[in-house]
Amino acid sequence: MINLQELTKDYGTVVAVNKLNLSVSAGEIYGFIGPNGAGKTTTIRMMGGILAPTSGKIIIGGLDMAQKPAEAKKLIGFIPDRPFLYEKLTGMEFLQFSADLYNVKRDTFLEKAQKLLQQFDLLDWADELVEAYSHGMKQRLIIASALLHDPQILIIDEPMVGLDPSAVRLVKDILKELAAHQTTVFISTHTLSIAEDLCHRIGLIHKGTLSAQGTLDELKHIANLGEAGLEEVFLTIIKENTFI
Amino acid sequence: MNNTFLLLRPRLISAINSMRPRNGKHNWPRFFMYGSLGFVFWTGTFIIFYRVLFYFQSIQDFGNILAMKLISMLIIIFFTLLLFSNIINCLSHLYLSQDLPLLHSLPVSSENIFSSRWIISTFDSSWMIVAFSFPVFLSYGLIYKTGFSFYLTFPVTIVFMCLITSALSSILVLFGAKILPAGRIRTIIIVLGVFMTLLLILVLRLIRPEQLVNPDSFASVVLYLNSMQTPDSPLLPTTWITDIIKASLNGEIKNCLFNIALTGTCAFMLIFISNMIARLIYFDGFSKSQTTSKRLFAPVKYKGYNWESLLSFLPRESKAFAVREIRTFFRDSAQWPQLFLIIALIGIYLYNFSVLPLDNLPIKAVYLQNLFSFLNIGLAAFVLTAIVARFVFPSVSREGEAFWIVQAAPVSLKKFLWIKFFLYYVPLIILVEFLVVVSNLLLRVSPFMMFLSTITLFCLVPAVVGMAVGLGAVYADFKSENPAQAATSFGGLLFMVLCFCLISTVVILEAGPVYSIFMADLRGQGISLLQLTWSVISFVFAFLLCLLAIFYPIYLGEKKLRIR
Repeated sequence: MINLQELTKDYGTVVAVNKLNLSVSAGEIYGFIGPNGAGKTTTIRMMGGILAPTSGKIIIGGLDMAQKPAEAKKLIGFIPDRPFLYEKLTGMEFLQFSADLYNVKRDTFLEKAQKLLQQFDLLDWADELVEAYSHGMKQRLIIASALLHDPQILIIDEPMVGLDPSAVRLVKDILKELAAHQTTVFISTHTLSIAEDLCHRIGLIHKGTLSAQGTLDELKHIANLGEAGLEEVFLTIIKENTFI
Repeated sequence: MNNTFLLLRPRLISAINSMRPRNGKHNWPRFFMYGSLGFVFWTGTFIIFYRVLFYFQSIQDFGNILAMKLISMLIIIFFTLLLFSNIINCLSHLYLSQDLPLLHSLPVSSENIFSSRWIISTFDSSWMIVAFSFPVFLSYGLIYKTGFSFYLTFPVTIVFMCLITSALSSILVLFGAKILPAGRIRTIIIVLGVFMTLLLILVLRLIRPEQLVNPDSFASVVLYLNSMQTPDSPLLPTTWITDIIKASLNGEIKNCLFNIALTGTCAFMLIFISNMIARLIYFDGFSKSQTTSKRLFAPVKYKGYNWESLLSFLPRESKAFAVREIRTFFRDSAQWPQLFLIIALIGIYLYNFSVLPLDNLPIKAVYLQNLFSFLNIGLAAFVLTAIVARFVFPSVSREGEAFWIVQAAPVSLKKFLWIKFFLYYVPLIILVEFLVVVSNLLLRVSPFMMFLSTITLFCLVPAVVGMAVGLGAVYADFKSENPAQAATSFGGLLFMVLCFCLISTVVILEAGPVYSIFMADLRGQGISLLQLTWSVISFVFAFLLCLLAIFYPIYLGEKKLRIR
């Protein structure tokens, strides 16, 4: 479902992502981890169509993001790390806006929106302006809007930032359920326990290149660490720089 | 005190850093543009005041009274402007800036934070008025042939005036923020301020100054001049400031020094009082400002109709953007005063045409009416540019940090910009055509001029809107705390200069052919083949220029947004 080929982003002063190759299949939850400034957010923003790559290809559901961006984006639910929204819209109005952009069926919109708002504990706030929402509520609203059009691919940058423990549990459950129904989930995170808990495969990016990837067991094997946790694996791979 | 200056350092360092070249790009075009505009405005102010004062000097008896009345009016205007600007800046700097939570978490007293912010606010509110009061006072000094002491006195006086207004404003704001959340006070003050300005403009316009040229009303002018010599209240700082300038111009040293002492002590006393009050209540007010104020109007429960159903004829994506733009625009209280000003501007625009004494003109009326109508094309286009610069140019920047939603949406940036274009184009074409048709009807122009005006503006409106959307995207600032300020940014000024060039070129291109056609019609003659060819080439060139202004900036804007 996701295929990155020789993906590169050169900001002029720094190469944030350097010839990145990876693919994620349908129903897979792929964790993307790495230290600060490794190129995670740049990669995610390129995959979401927010940033143009310097070179390389992004194939989403068989569609080239550079050739057919609008069609490719229709398949994606994008959740950024910082919940910037239109502060002067209400929660429900924002969902309506998203529904119109992603062409959600008119007759099912209201029911779907109310269900998602209920699920994310926002129904009582549906008619309040977003400016009155807390950080966590904004994050929950963004997740709800990303799920509104039943995307085939979810691209998430730091999904749990600002969420309380119950919302974290809820999001985890939703992601597992979506993956079980063949939705592809691509998560970038610093929270290694989440990656450990949730992801089928994990990719480790460092200085713009993919240092290692595989299941948790494969990564332990690569790093020559027997029963260590992901944190040890992470630190070892970062130290040694590359295992690919 | 050390902490106060320490807190000023980020501002100073940021100002210095902003002058450095970014990504290898030098800032000199920006500085050159701002510098040139400032110089033109500064020189223009000096020339106008010098000529007016020179003319006053030529009027026996009344000349000096008029010059002194003018200075007293100017001081009151400067004082009011400073007071209003300081209130708005104090609110922003003391309560609403994004970095305040960080500052309050630092191990410095809230009094230090207040002092540092007060200094920044005073500078931000005052520098422009100080800069542009200099040519005014310089012209007074030259006309009155004052000594060197005047050039020392007036800067000191202006600085004291800035300090008094800033201290007064901070006291008002400190008490206001103790009662209401700061965000709400700003809305109320802006709306009240705009209402007062509108009232002043309307009153000044309804006085009908054009009647002053009527000799029958001269008697009342003499009475008015007599009333001008009535002294102002001795308890007001504006009176002391005016007296300093007057005494300094007339070489009355003792009087001048006495009033300087009065003004200076008042300024320092007010600063001391504002610091005392800040020590007691600033943090409480700041704390209150951190809570979200209730909505000014009760929320409307979601019903599934309203703007959505009104615009349901649009394609779905376009409707989504249109509804969102309308809602976010009208719910932003910072936009309301601008809308009131536009309504007043349109009212005064049309009123001016309605009071033109077309029936009592010594020059042939048909010629003059049609000349006015032709010039009205340019005038209406300039009014349009002012409106567009304020509302359309910042529209891409208004997306702010939420622009990621547009980037991630399955809508191309090209489509996004064209939706913006049509969203503003439709109401603006209606507004401008209404203005020009009504003013032409009031002028009773020929059918040819009516046709020419409507067609020219039909081409100019999309050109100006296209340039605003396109250049607004090229110079978009998604991180600005106040996107409306984009209108006064480098990009905004460039947009206005380019619009001025476009409108002038179109008007100049049309002027020659229109004159030939009009005169031929007036004389009952046909136009020659040469004139016809010239006219066709001019009109086609003007049309092509408008087309270029619509499409090229939007193309550039899309390109710039894509590679961000």
